[in-house]
Amino acid sequence: MEPVIRFTKVTLGYGRTPVLRDISFEVHAGEYFGFAGPNGAGKTTIVRAILGTLKPLAGTVRVVMPSGSRVRFGYVPQRDTVDYVLPYTVEEIVMMGRYRQMGILRRPGEADRAAVRKSLDHVGIRDLRGVSFRELSGGQKQRSLIARALASEPDVLVLDEPTNGMDLSSRISILDLIRQLHSNDRLTVIMVSHLLDDVANHVGRLAIVEKGFFQVGTVEEVLTGPNLSMLYGMPVDVRRVGGRMVILAGGDDDWR
Amino acid sequence: MTGVEIVRTILEEFPYALYGSIMVGTLCAFLGVYIVAKRVVFLGAVLTQVSVMGLALTFLPLFPVPHTLGSLIITLGTVVIVSRMLTGKKVPKDAVLGIVFVTSIAVRILVMQKAARVEASEIENLLRGDILFVTPGLFYLMAGAFAAASAVHLLFFKEFTYISFDAETARTQGFNAAGWEVGFYLIAGVVISFATHMVGDIFVFGFLVIPPVAAMLLVRRVTGIFVVSVLIGLCAPPVGLYLAFLFDLPSSPAIVGVASVVLAGAWIVSLARKR
Repeated sequence: MEPVIRFTKVTLGYGRTPVLRDISFEVHAGEYFGFAGPNGAGKTTIVRAILGTLKPLAGTVRVVMPSGSRVRFGYVPQRDTVDYVLPYTVEEIVMMGRYRQMGILRRPGEADRAAVRKSLDHVGIRDLRGVSFRELSGGQKQRSLIARALASEPDVLVLDEPTNGMDLSSRISILDLIRQLHSNDRLTVIMVSHLLDDVANHVGRLAIVEKGFFQVGTVEEVLTGPNLSMLYGMPVDVRRVGGRMVILAGGDDDWR
Repeated sequence: MTGVEIVRTILEEFPYALYGSIMVGTLCAFLGVYIVAKRVVFLGAVLTQVSVMGLALTFLPLFPVPHTLGSLIITLGTVVIVSRMLTGKKVPKDAVLGIVFVTSIAVRILVMQKAARVEASEIENLLRGDILFVTPGLFYLMAGAFAAASAVHLLFFKEFTYISFDAETARTQGFNAAGWEVGFYLIAGVVISFATHMVGDIFVFGFLVIPPVAAMLLVRRVTGIFVVSVLIGLCAPPVGLYLAFLFDLPSSPAIVGVASVVLAGAWIVSLARKR
């Protein structure tokens, strides 16, 4: 089966300065794919190249649906990149996801309003539609941004650090929602996270990203103690507890 | 003068002052909502000073163009350069704006010293703008430019608000975010340049900031903020002009003073709401 996304010996960077060199990987339709690695490793840079907002310095990026049509991305940015000065309501923000379909000079029609209602229902925040986005909790904000991405009727959902800065219950709740979107709606999902636990227990395959290091494979292949120890420059152990993968860092001998 | 006489004097002898100040007040109050939301309030002050510098440069033999055109050319040229620098990461935004601000003032002072054609006081009067002496020709030229700017903003309201809220995601949806940003700053440049020539820098900068902030304190919906800001921009100029005549005050500071009183009222209302 043809992949939806294929990177072949791609070098990425800003200006003339490469951040990542010669990376190759594929993401297939229906897959739940993760990018993990330390902050500043270049994960968001890869996402920008996938989304087409960053041109590669070298190599080939191919992004096309198996049917040959253009891939529609639903992008969920990091929450702190959006503007909090103006009090947009949740509904207004989710409607922004429809702007591409609406086209220039058009106002929202009934189809757009229906798509917004459906997206709000899907992520369980219809009752918050009239509430100002900036007054929401972290988890509610994330659901709003996911609803906006869904309103654009995407082929691929791309989430950049979706659980960053959240409390435990919000984090679990958001990860469950993303898993449902993948399994129930058969959405192709790409998640970027520096939180290894999030990636380890949810994605099917992943890429570990660090400057000068890029490895792709299944969770079991990539998230190994030696790999992670080399990546983070400290002893890291990977265990299974109650069927879940747990990553232990810092050389806690009592655990070993 | 009685109140009725003041109103009659304004309407009969200074109609372009009234209509011009309302026009500038409403459009600056509208654009100001974006400027405050984008956290580039200082840009308003910078562009007014760049516009004034542009006017000053037209007094030099090296730049022999009409005052309004000279101001427009210099302002738009600066907008193109500064908008690129504002999206870069090497130099902080406020540092870029600070450099342009202080350079504009320095150039203006130097030009005023060396412009031999007219008295420095005449230049200073022109640079400050005087609402009471807006000519019909200038008024209609500005009205055309302001109508065009308003039309662009109303037609592309959803695009401008989207880019302002979340440029990164808009870019992933195929919007040319950088293009829309430059477009916004160019329109702001045209409006600020013309408006500064017409009513002066204090009025323009005041209405780019004060009505939007007052509206943000009073209203909790984005569309409502635009509406209330424009209403303040619409109502404060005639009240300020009236008070300027009544108490024999300079018109621009009086109008800005009225807007500031509205802002103070809005602040008190917002404090009362919190309790």
